[in-house]
Amino acid sequence: MEFDEALVARWLEPFVAGRGDIAEVFAETRRKTIVEWRDAEPGDARVSIEAGVSARQRRGGRERIAFVSGSGEAAIREAVRALQASAKKTVLPSRPAPARADFEPGPSIERWVRRLETILARHAPRHRLRWTHEEISRRVVPFGSAASTSTRRLFSLDGSFTAASRRGDEIRSFSFHAPEADATADELRQALAAAAAARERPIPFGDGIADILFSGATAAVLFHEILSHALEAETGETPLSRLAAARVSVSDLEVRDDPTRLDLFGGYERDDEGTRPRAVKLLDAGRIAGNLTDRAHADGRGSTGHGRRAGPADPPLPRGSNTVVAAGAATSEEMIRRLGNGLWIDEIGSGTVELSSGRFRLAFPRARRVRRGRFADELGAGFLAGEILPTLSAVEPVIGRDVRVCRSLGWCSRGGAVVPVQGEAPEVIVRRLSVRDR
Amino acid sequence: MIDADLERELERRFPGAWELYRKTAESRELEVSGTNRGEAWRREEGWAVRWWDGGLRFATGSDRQRLAAAIPLAGKLPGRAEPAPPFPTSGLIPEGGQIPVQPAEPAAAVTAPPDLFAPLTQLVSEKSRGEAVLASLTLRRGRAVEEIRNSAGSRVRMESSQLDGIARALGRRGPRTCERRSVFRWDAEPDLQGVAGRLADGATLPLASRGPTFSRGAWLLDPAVAASFLAALAPLFCADALPLWVKRGEIASRPVTIVDDASADAPWDGEGTPTRRVVLIKDGALVSRLHDLRSAARAGGFSTGHGVRPSYRNPPRPGPRRLFFETAGGVSPRELLAGVARGIFARALTAPVFVDVDADRYEVEFTGVALSGGRASEPVAGARVSGRISELLARITQVATDRQFFPIPYPVGAPTILVERVNFE
Repeated sequence: MEFDEALVARWLEPFVAGRGDIAEVFAETRRKTIVEWRDAEPGDARVSIEAGVSARQRRGGRERIAFVSGSGEAAIREAVRALQASAKKTVLPSRPAPARADFEPGPSIERWVRRLETILARHAPRHRLRWTHEEISRRVVPFGSAASTSTRRLFSLDGSFTAASRRGDEIRSFSFHAPEADATADELRQALAAAAAARERPIPFGDGIADILFSGATAAVLFHEILSHALEAETGETPLSRLAAARVSVSDLEVRDDPTRLDLFGGYERDDEGTRPRAVKLLDAGRIAGNLTDRAHADGRGSTGHGRRAGPADPPLPRGSNTVVAAGAATSEEMIRRLGNGLWIDEIGSGTVELSSGRFRLAFPRARRVRRGRFADELGAGFLAGEILPTLSAVEPVIGRDVRVCRSLGWCSRGGAVVPVQGEAPEVIVRRLSVRDR
Repeated sequence: MIDADLERELERRFPGAWELYRKTAESRELEVSGTNRGEAWRREEGWAVRWWDGGLRFATGSDRQRLAAAIPLAGKLPGRAEPAPPFPTSGLIPEGGQIPVQPAEPAAAVTAPPDLFAPLTQLVSEKSRGEAVLASLTLRRGRAVEEIRNSAGSRVRMESSQLDGIARALGRRGPRTCERRSVFRWDAEPDLQGVAGRLADGATLPLASRGPTFSRGAWLLDPAVAASFLAALAPLFCADALPLWVKRGEIASRPVTIVDDASADAPWDGEGTPTRRVVLIKDGALVSRLHDLRSAARAGGFSTGHGVRPSYRNPPRPGPRRLFFETAGGVSPRELLAGVARGIFARALTAPVFVDVDADRYEVEFTGVALSGGRASEPVAGARVSGRISELLARITQVATDRQFFPIPYPVGAPTILVERVNFE
């Protein structure tokens, strides 16, 4: 990604006429390796190396973006030329140049393949899993401020495996997402071992209303859907839109969105507009405390550093990153007792929210019934459903003390734009959610 | 432009076992909402090579140099042993045909999509009697050129263009709101009336005060709902192994004939196999399956021309390309409606269709209108139908002639469909 930043800044200058105008160039190279694993043997393998650049102008409520595949000065020139043509400005002369492969291969791929073979053979020998390793380098040249560069290496293992249950084999889904680190392999081993633990055969359960204990960091998924999305600037009107500083939940609950947590899948050192991110309190002692903003939707303090792009072809949007719920003081035993009768859920497969009405839905692959503060039946897959404000007000004023990372939460799609996210949370009880069997 | 040097290099390294794909695409997009306006111009290039060297390998790059860098990296990865399938040999690029050089002037090749926000806003307001407003409209006009070559000497080039979009509306009644999205693709003139009707109903019907007041009756599926169900059922037509319930013979009632035929869209599939019409279900019986080169080789047959590449980044896989209900023996939707003594017309989905083909289970959540004596009686805010796929298919008693296509994301076509004896929740 070699290019003359000063030259690019000069090209961008005509797009900025006044305060608040935005003009920038965004460049990305991405190397992705995918190996399909089946029963501890690697199957189809693929490697993708891509580069793309875009030039963007924003003035008031009007935004233009031009994208071309490629990298380097020639590709940037093409993107800027397209932006100039679109804005009816003088167009730079074209200077095509041959593309250069500027991505150095990392040494970790082959090592990972060897490690995975061992880990999978030991902990989940019968499986269909897809391993993805992505190395993403991004460079942003905003007009009027310093250029920035960031690189992330992301590791994902997704699919299903056959686990032994008390009454025979069963197929279980598995999702693990983490930034590549020294501890990733150990964490993966632990996650697989926990997912493969023996269970009773699930029994069906009826539809109805139930109290839910969100265990195993699944509260991070709940608050990602109902707080992080609802407080992304530019989402339009949501049930939280006009409730700045209003108390909507118990004072024990504190939730923030923290992109600076680089140990989590959704972390980054710079957002996709080049802004250094900061942690934003979404809920402070039960009160609405802040919004997630990019440069275009910033308040007086400036962007919170949540301007994120799915890729260089997409414009940045304010998006959440890592949903972090602060610890309380209760032990797991106390939380189960406090729940009394209800459902204990430690896995959530997916979640959706309709922001205008505030209705959300979370799909869980399994649950445990809790009766009189004790674990009872193993239950199968189902849905939780509710609305944002009633759910926040139904959070129990006792929060668990052990905070865990939700490694099954990894990618979030909004309007087709997919970005890495994650979170961590202690155990949280929510009263009277709608539950449906699947 | 794919050059002969690259082909020679691939043949030298992977003799008789390679396939090269290149795509260039250009699009212009216009997104308009009440306060914002966004314009986007995109020019994308992608290269992909698939080869068999022990096992299958796949490498892609956003240009030829990156493709060249990806090939040795993919080659180092271990793979499961698998022979190369027989490649198609039929396609040949016409004389002088190559992917054209990029236009000298950027953003000049594809014209901007029309700004239809104002007329669609008016139509949504009219059709919803002022209860729904258009929140945003995104239209995209694009053009793509694909070129496929393989070690059997086939050379294929396809050009396509399309106009598609997403519209979002908000319905409001008192303190209650509802959001609805409509994804559409226009092959001919823009169908603003159809999009506006779906948005208006989808955003306002869920605001009704109650769900179904009866638990059993006929179920009339709007073409959009029926198309979503058909798309969810599509894995049945591509699976290597059929589930038990399908092996019993007839899987649907006699009025059901389902076909895949993308002849009007492209002469070849993503592997260079000629496109052809494949009847999947004929008069209720499953008679054929969709295959790409690999699945056909595994099944000991030939590709049906259904090697699908959703993007150059993904290797081809078997999949539908233009899947639809045949409507030759259908009746008018008005006749279908008139024949319903008691039932519900499912106008829009309120959640994605759930289908588990292996377990023979489905679940559809929708909003619509209650029907009584062949007439609409009252809105139904939300209802659910679930059960066995096999039972649902067997209870389709009539299909109408008003087939419409929806991008899910490939074109899926369905008419209004009548299902008898359904339990509503």
